[in-house]
Amino acid sequence: MIHAENVSKRVQVADSELCILKGTSLEIKRGESVAIIGPSGSGKSTLLGLLAGLDEPTDGDIWLAGEHLNALDEDGRAALRLKLVGFVFQSFQLLPGLTALENVMLPLELRGDRRAAKVARDYLERVGLAHRLDHYPRQLSGGEQQRVALARAFAPQPDILFADEPTGNLDAETGASVNDLLFSLNAQSGTTLVLVTHEPILARRCARRITLSAGEIVEDSGEVVPA
Amino acid sequence: MNHLRWLMREWRGGELALLLVSLVLAVTIVSGVAGFADRLQRGIVGESHKFLAADLVLKTPRTLPDSALDKLPSVVERALVVEFRSMVVAANAMELASIKAVSDSYPLRGELTVSETPFGAAQTTLEVPASGRAWLDSRLFPLLGLEVGDELQLGELTLIAERALLTEPDRGTSFYGMGPRVLINAADVARSGVVQAGSLVDYRYLFAGTEEQLQAVKTSLQPELTASERWQGLDDSQPQIAKTLQRAERFLLLAGSFGVALAGVAVALAARRYSQRHLDTVAVMKALGAGSRQVTSLYVGNILLLAILATLLGWVLGLGVQNALFAMIRDLVGFSPPAGTLRPLLAGAITALLCVVSFALPPVLRLRSVPPLRVLRRDLGNESLSSGVSAFAGIGGLFLLMLWYTGSIELVLAVLVGVSAILGLAGILVLRLFSAMRGWAQGAGGVLKLALSAMVRRRQANAFQVVSLALALMVLLCIIAARSSLMKEWQLQLPADTPNHFLINIAPEQVGPVNDWFERQGIDSAGVFPMVRGRLVTIDGRDVQEIPEIEANRGSVNREINLSWSDELPGDNRLTAGQWWPDASASLPRVSVEDEFAERLGIAVGTKLGFRIGGLPLEAEVTSLRSLSWDSMRPNFFLLFEPGVLDSYPSSSITSFYLDATDKVLLNDLLRQFPTITLIEMDAVIRQARTVVEQVSAALELVLVLIIGCALLVGVANIQASLDSRLHENAILRTLGASRQLIRTCLLAEFAMIGLVAGLLAGVGAELCLYLIQTRLLDMSASWHPLFWVVSPLGAAFVVAVSGWWFCREVIVAPPLQVLRRL
Ligand SMILES: Nc1ncnc2c1ncn2[C@@H]1O[C@H](COP(=O)(O)OP(=O)(O)OP(=O)(O)O)[C@@H](O)[C@H]1O
Ligand SMILES: [Mg+2]
Repeated sequence: MIHAENVSKRVQVADSELCILKGTSLEIKRGESVAIIGPSGSGKSTLLGLLAGLDEPTDGDIWLAGEHLNALDEDGRAALRLKLVGFVFQSFQLLPGLTALENVMLPLELRGDRRAAKVARDYLERVGLAHRLDHYPRQLSGGEQQRVALARAFAPQPDILFADEPTGNLDAETGASVNDLLFSLNAQSGTTLVLVTHEPILARRCARRITLSAGEIVEDSGEVVPA
Repeated sequence: MNHLRWLMREWRGGELALLLVSLVLAVTIVSGVAGFADRLQRGIVGESHKFLAADLVLKTPRTLPDSALDKLPSVVERALVVEFRSMVVAANAMELASIKAVSDSYPLRGELTVSETPFGAAQTTLEVPASGRAWLDSRLFPLLGLEVGDELQLGELTLIAERALLTEPDRGTSFYGMGPRVLINAADVARSGVVQAGSLVDYRYLFAGTEEQLQAVKTSLQPELTASERWQGLDDSQPQIAKTLQRAERFLLLAGSFGVALAGVAVALAARRYSQRHLDTVAVMKALGAGSRQVTSLYVGNILLLAILATLLGWVLGLGVQNALFAMIRDLVGFSPPAGTLRPLLAGAITALLCVVSFALPPVLRLRSVPPLRVLRRDLGNESLSSGVSAFAGIGGLFLLMLWYTGSIELVLAVLVGVSAILGLAGILVLRLFSAMRGWAQGAGGVLKLALSAMVRRRQANAFQVVSLALALMVLLCIIAARSSLMKEWQLQLPADTPNHFLINIAPEQVGPVNDWFERQGIDSAGVFPMVRGRLVTIDGRDVQEIPEIEANRGSVNREINLSWSDELPGDNRLTAGQWWPDASASLPRVSVEDEFAERLGIAVGTKLGFRIGGLPLEAEVTSLRSLSWDSMRPNFFLLFEPGVLDSYPSSSITSFYLDATDKVLLNDLLRQFPTITLIEMDAVIRQARTVVEQVSAALELVLVLIIGCALLVGVANIQASLDSRLHENAILRTLGASRQLIRTCLLAEFAMIGLVAGLLAGVGAELCLYLIQTRLLDMSASWHPLFWVVSPLGAAFVVAVSGWWFCREVIVAPPLQVLRRL
């Protein structure tokens, strides 16, 4: 489903060049759930962004669902994301001007889905927010906002879900319930899950764990434990 | 995705409201003010054509051949006016009167006012006297001992005095407009037998029609004309009023285009804020798979829909403004406004489009290139909004807008020079200031340190704010200053007690009695000036008839000139060259010459002039040149001699004085006592001129109010632009334990500093702009405005601080948590 070969990312900082990712390769299969862990600053978010096609690698190649990302421009990658990818972010990233329902409808509408409202309502119900459809993000708690974000991520039924510390901004209890929700939705839809996290508990719920350190993969449970 | 639904969703964010208001204001200004100016202008021009009683007049000393007149386009309205002086004789008295004979279609513009009895109640009429009837100045009834219905004699013609004539639209335009008026029908001229070959008669052919028709008349008659015939349009008959109107029109256009410029700035500010607040939205949408084309289409669609909405609203408001303006000055204008045209509405729509394209679209279009990675790294994509391109597009758009709107490249350049001067100055100054502040902030303590470092931290946003505020202020200052100097000049031109009557031909022995009469009646005269009539025949020994250089100005020498003398320089004269009667004795008598007259004839200090006065020669040397104000309506002279030089020539005197309309009956007494004196009545002309000035001034005031509205809008947009970051920062400061007092002081200090710098820049920019506007555009002398340099910074500091505090007061009172949650 996802294939990365020798991917590196370097950025220019002041006069010196900073190497964030150093020739990383990995392979993620359909339906797999993968946790990317590692210390802060090790390059987890960078890797996630590259795999999702939000950015371009300095070197190396990435394939997403068989499509060679390097060959696509930003619009091409956007079209691919629209078809295949869902996101959950640490900072929720709901649009403040839209209600919960409209936020969930957004990716469906972007695809031109005529049943957007119905599907969105359905998913909000699944995350337990059927009674908060017309509330704006600022009227919701952090946990509720993240549940809206989950509904938005799953509603278009993506093939791959990328999540960057989905519970990083939440307390342990709320985080746990959001996690439960995430995995149950994931289980229902059989989505490939790529998840960046600090939390060992969350990481352990994934079938496979990739550990990054200073821009390099230092451990990959998926390779140690034969599938 | 559905554009309309998207617009509705976006609308709730609140940022579009300001954008819409700014666009609506731009459309309103153009379609409202331009429409109003256009209609007022047409109305006033129409009104002013009444001074001519026509749109175009041909003045000639002879009748034109019928063959020439028959060739004229038949759609053009025509009338004939014949004027001459003649005695009118009643049973017991006779009087030299100014006879005016008019054809039935007279007047083509304007109307006559008459009354059924002498000095009676005025009523307007479009009729003229029938053949055999005469309408007389009220004064003539007592002078001739006539009653309404009595007979009087004009040459061989017997006329019945039917009515009193109070005013004629074109009274002031005639050389013979002196002495009491008798209005008769043109058909009676021949029968009176008064007009013989060689008598001094003034024929005026009046025409009215469209501009093209009038042009056709001119072209068609041109081959018939000789040097003694002259065309009169509005410009010739009322140079002062034409000039006033021209300036007023330019001022309105200037104010209007400034208003549009301000609205443009507000649009730019609002669009910038809108884009800024949508960086995250676009990043999320892109992460969710929206392509840049989809993003562009949604946002551009949004803005275009908004522009359409703004155009519709602006049209409605613009028409409302037009009518409101007319309603407010209805009593002043004295004419019903001509119908509006579609042009201002079209102009409004194009303005909205141009505003959107050059001010709103550049920042919005850049949303397209927000990287989706921003969802993971918030710092990405910010830089895409701060670029010189949008400033460039904005200024370019402004240039086009104003050029198209005013049609005057000079005006636009003056504004743009001011704008770029202020932009450049602002850039340098503000950045200098901020780097200095970094140092001060280190040294300062407490609140000041906080305020200073806040300024430094937001220096880009602040610089932008300072510049746009300065721009709005500058525009306001320019408009206010230009307006007040225009008004001052008009008022100077026509103070309320401007002399409105002239007496000429006062014999030397009558000077004392006339002065006594003034004293008895309590009338202040402008002083009695002696004068001798003579011709200028040689300049430096050359016969003026043979000097080719003055061919174009031969009119100045082909007639008798009034010569006077004075010991002292008259109060309203100013020396422009030479000395006023220098002490060194000269061989020749000395003379002082009016400077424009001197320039026309190539006369300078030291030139020797030869005169012929009553058949006798006189040679004099020019020792000084003077400028004088003809508008003062005081007796003024091209040529002033040393006292004594003209003593041996026959002289008469001239004076002018102010007389209220209600006191006009006193003139009867004056003329009865001094029958040989000629009275010239200028009151109607002056009254008309003053009305026009009042109308135009009122219009300017109202337009000024609209411009102030625009400037306020820019101020609001400006403060809103930085509201988010301020609210956020201050909420954080408060959670960190800063007191409300501290934050309030800090906010006030920061805003006051922004206002101060903007005000100072505006003062400098306005001074520069005004210099150009006054010297290049309004033909006035430049003046300094030292007050600007003080009032503008202090005033701006105050206003910006107070309104900034007002908009940010929420962060001071609301619990910080609420503020933080909202952001
Ligand atoms: N565009 C960039 N410019 C400069 N530095 C960058 C850029 N992108 C990433 N970095 C740096 O690269 C390193 C890795 O960043 P990344 O966000 O991938 O870390 P992370 O593993 O997600 O950390 P965290 O767990 O704290 O989220 C960091 O030190 C970050 O500052
Ligand atoms: Mg990270």
